[in-house]
Parts: sequence; C-alpha cells; structure tokens
Amino acid sequence: MNTAGKTAESAVSGAANTAADRAVRTAAYAAGNTAAKTEARRAISRRNTGKLLLLLAFAALVCILYMVVGVRWGNEKLVAYAMKIRTPKLIVMVITAFAIGAASIVFQTVIGNTIVTPCLLGMNSLYTLIHTAVVFAAGAGSLLARNANVSFVVDLAIMGAVATIVYSYLFRKTKNNVLYVLLIGTVLTSFFSSIQTTMTRIMDPNEYESLLATLVASFSNINSEVIVISLVLLVILGLSLRRELALLDVLQLGKAQAINLGVDYDRCIRRLLLGVTLCIAVATAMVGPISFLGLIIANLARQLLQTYRHSQLVLGSALIGMAVLIGGQLLVEHVFSYMIPVSVFITVGGGVYFLYLLLTQKKA
Amino acid sequence: MIASQKPPARISVCGAVVPAAERKLFFMFVENLTKKYDGKAVVNEVSFTIPKGKVLSLIGPNGAGKSTVMGMISRLIAQDDGAVDFEGRDLRRWKSRELARRLAILTQTNNSQMKLTVEELVAFGRFPYSGNHLTQEDREKIDQAIRYMELDEFRDQFIDELSGGQRQRAYIAMVIAQDTEYVLLDEPTNNLDIYHATNMMKIVRRLCDELGKTMILVLHEINYAAFYSDYICAFVDGRVAKFGTVEEVMTRENLAEIYRVDFEIMEIKGKPLSIYY
Repeated sequence: MNTAGKTAESAVSGAANTAADRAVRTAAYAAGNTAAKTEARRAISRRNTGKLLLLLAFAALVCILYMVVGVRWGNEKLVAYAMKIRTPKLIVMVITAFAIGAASIVFQTVIGNTIVTPCLLGMNSLYTLIHTAVVFAAGAGSLLARNANVSFVVDLAIMGAVATIVYSYLFRKTKNNVLYVLLIGTVLTSFFSSIQTTMTRIMDPNEYESLLATLVASFSNINSEVIVISLVLLVILGLSLRRELALLDVLQLGKAQAINLGVDYDRCIRRLLLGVTLCIAVATAMVGPISFLGLIIANLARQLLQTYRHSQLVLGSALIGMAVLIGGQLLVEHVFSYMIPVSVFITVGGGVYFLYLLLTQKKA
Repeated sequence: MIASQKPPARISVCGAVVPAAERKLFFMFVENLTKKYDGKAVVNEVSFTIPKGKVLSLIGPNGAGKSTVMGMISRLIAQDDGAVDFEGRDLRRWKSRELARRLAILTQTNNSQMKLTVEELVAFGRFPYSGNHLTQEDREKIDQAIRYMELDEFRDQFIDELSGGQRQRAYIAMVIAQDTEYVLLDEPTNNLDIYHATNMMKIVRRLCDELGKTMILVLHEINYAAFYSDYICAFVDGRVAKFGTVEEVMTRENLAEIYRVDFEIMEIKGKPLSIYY
C-alpha cells in the first residue's frame, strides 16, 4: 500500500537524520556551548514536528482525494449528491481513526507492551454477539435490527455496561494487575464468540445472510444522530481523562518508577483502561468491529516518530489511521467497486504487519 | 499517628531507646511493619529506625523480606499492618507527589525498551516538581545530574542501546535530578560485573558524603554492605535479626546465624570483610 512505502522511506531517512543530529549534538556538548545545546535540542523536536506536519498533509490529501475522485463536475446536482453521501462517511472515518488511534496508544502504554491491540478487550466479539442475538431473538425485520439509532443505543448501553463492570470493578478485584486484563479479555472474546457461533448455527439461513452484512465494519449509511452522539461521548471521555492522559509519559516508565515520581498509579491505570474500553465501545458501536486497525496504526506511529511523547504518538497514530482508513475506502470504492470491505484489507494487512513486528522485535 | 504522640519508648536503634532530643537525627521510624501473602507473614512485625545522612544496607538471605520492607517504606507495596513514620507524618498520609520530592526509590525492574534518550530519562526526575513542562532550573538540575554521573557522551543515546552499567548510571542520574534527601536503591549491584558493581557502590558512598543524601540499599553482597555502609540491618525470616553499625553486625557469630554458613572475618582498610565457604 501507498502508506507502507512512505513509512519505510521516512523511517530510513529518519535513521540517517538521527545519526547526523547526534554527531552535531555531541560536538555541541563537548564545546560546552549553551546556545548550540539549545539549538540541537530544538532540531530534534523540529524533526518530529516536521514528520507530523507531513503526515497531516498526507492525511488531508487523502481526505480531499476521497471527496473529489470520481465526481462528475459538470452536473451540479450530481456534485451535491456526491458531497451529501461522502461528507458523513468522511467524518465517521476521521472520528474512528482518532478514537482507535488514541485508544490503541493508551492501551499499549497501560499494558506496557507495544504489540497488544484493544481487540483483546473483547468489544468486537461483544458487538458481534449483540447483533446476532438481536436477529436471532427478534428477527432481521425487527425494529431493533432495522433502526440504526436504536441499535446504536442498545450496542452502546450493553458494551458500556460490560466495559464498566469488567474493566473497573473486576480490575479492582484483581488488585489492578494489568495482565489479568489481557486474560479476562481473551476469555470474554472466546465466550462471546462461542455463544454467537451457536446462535448462527441454528438460525434461519435468510436471516443469517442479512445479519452477515452488519457484522463487518462499514462507514456507509451512518445516521447523523449517531455521529453526533459518538463525537460528544468521545469528547466528554477525552476531557474527563485529560489529567490521566498527561501522565502517560510517566506511566510508560513502569509501575515502580511512576509511583516513585508521585503518580497515583492504580487509580490512573484503572481510569485509563476504562476510558480506552469505552472509547473502543463507542467506535465499534458506530462502525462495527474495527479495533484491529489500532495495532497497525499505533505501531506505524511508534516506528515513524521514535519518541516516548504521547502527545506526538497519539496524533501520529490518529493521522496514520486517517490515511489508512480513508485511503483504503477510496480503493474499495473506486478500484474494487465495493467487492471487498475495507476491514478485510485491514485484517490482512494487519496480520502481515503483526507477524513482521513479532519477528523483528526478537532482539529486544 | 506516631508523630502526634509522645516519643514512644518502643522505638529503638539496636535495642537502645531513642531520647526525644535525638529524634531529629532520624527520619524514619518503622514500627511493627507486617506484610502477609496468603495468610503467611513475609514481613513480621518489623521495627527499626533509620538515621539521617548515612548509608544503611538491608541484608539477609533470599526470602527474608528485605525487598518487601524496602517496598513498604517507599509506598510501592501496601502495608498490611504497622506504621511507617516519615518525617513526623505517617507515610500513607503523605501526598504521593510531595513524597516524590523527599524520597526516591529505584528498583531493578525498569522498562528500558522505550525509545527514550538518557537526557529524557533524567528529565523525568523533575516530574514531581514541574510535571511535563521543564523550567530553566529543571534544565540545570538535569545537566548537573548528567555531569555528576559522567554521562555527557551518552546523553542522546537511547537507553535500550546502553550497556547494563551505563543504563544503571542513567537511572541513578535520574534519581539525582529528582533531588531528594532520601534515596532507596533495591539491589543496585544486581546484574553488574565486579567493575560496574564496585563503581556503583562508590557512587552510593559519594552521594552520601558529597551530596549529603541518606542512602538505603538492599544488598546481596555482604562485603559491599560492610565496606560502603555505615549501618547494616539484617533480616531473617521476615524479622530484623541484627541492626547496628557495620562493626557490630559483621561478626562471625552474627553472620553464621543470619546466613547459616561458616564465616571468617578479616580486616581490610579498617573495615571488617567476610569470607564464606
């Protein structure tokens, strides 16, 4: 994919930059020159700012391309129609990219491992289960299954409740051990999936057919009410966690170091974990199972930016998310003419990238 | 709280009661500290006092509870029972951030995989003071700490690219930047070769003598404890077995009792060193 090539390229030039910078800075320190020191320090932070600006430009370019490719400019009505269809989709993808990108970086820091994905929280399979259960119990033609607003609210309520119980209450019971989170998530995922599989086995084949369409992530036909509610919820979430989010850099040093530096570790981790789960829940309720995307974009951001600063990582991850999602959707719509949903690209690409990460991280 | 009461007679250093006038020589009073895992006491009613401006080493066999005590007096591990009086206030009543400006703890388990340069790591030492925004004063403290640990040439290297000894020094520099009066180190010589371990102990001594810090260490190597500390506190089975000056604790009988192997004591440069076999 286009993005992958770009990333690799900038990673190489990034490495060369670092070596050159380092030589300059070492010379500056040897000379004991304060002005040179400050200058060198600025050069480092400028480089990442440059990368982020580049990413921003690229993401913006993809957005613009998505809006204009294939529009028939001659006919005013057709242009208006295309804009009307594409604008909400674009907004949904931008929101999703930010939610998943931020949640993944935060989740990795909370767990203390850079190859975990918020998939492990079990929200994907819970979403699948809820939708299957609705179709199973009420039928594909029921109000719950047909009305997007209602099903969004139901998804959100159930996922929010499960997230709060599991990741706030149970987590406290396990004495805030983050490894239990992974374990609980894995067990929940299998639990939800097996119930779902059982239901699909005894379901009417026609209903199963119509159910299947709702079980893949999709950015089409999302009501504006749903978009507004999601956005408001995510903003509230971000604001209520702003103090904890500012502590992420320190949390990354590990539990003992964070406590040593005066952080109320357990409370902080608990709140962040709940926040991440709710964030994923909102994004999943909005577009469907998508959180695997997080693994790719969070790691691409870490690789590209080579920093521990979460302000940069979160922003980078969100921008890469935008590029991947919107770029992917562009391909789906105009190259593959809707034959393959974008989540297939994400899962396949993500799987390959995951293997690559596993194999190259061995030295650490 | 202990502080609000009259000086309790129970508090003692090597068995002797501390008179009220001398209380200011000590900064921490540990009383009946207890930690249980699954009903079994790993640390059992431990009481001792820690003098200011000295190097104190906690020694003892594996599982004697010395690291757990270290964890409890530094708030890393929750206490099950007992009290720790830190500068006249119970440890649990201190705000974590405030405590972080008075007391620093360095454990062996540090996440060193993150992309962090030495300078950035040392800068974290200023977090209790300025949060994420460093002031000019912070920058100076960071520079001083890096210079003190002779890390100038490494300051832009990522910590995951450093050798074990260099990384340990970087963490110590961070503790120096934290600028606390009290420094707790959990097995600072662990995983270091003789050269780096000895240097680490010299640094500990210098931090005490030159910067006036109170150092508390958990050590496995008793000869390092004997040569570089002022006081030794020996733990056996979750209790304090011996507490005293190096000369008081480092005797054949005491060490044989603590470790249950045979010892010979030699004197080198006026310090008692042990040979075990």
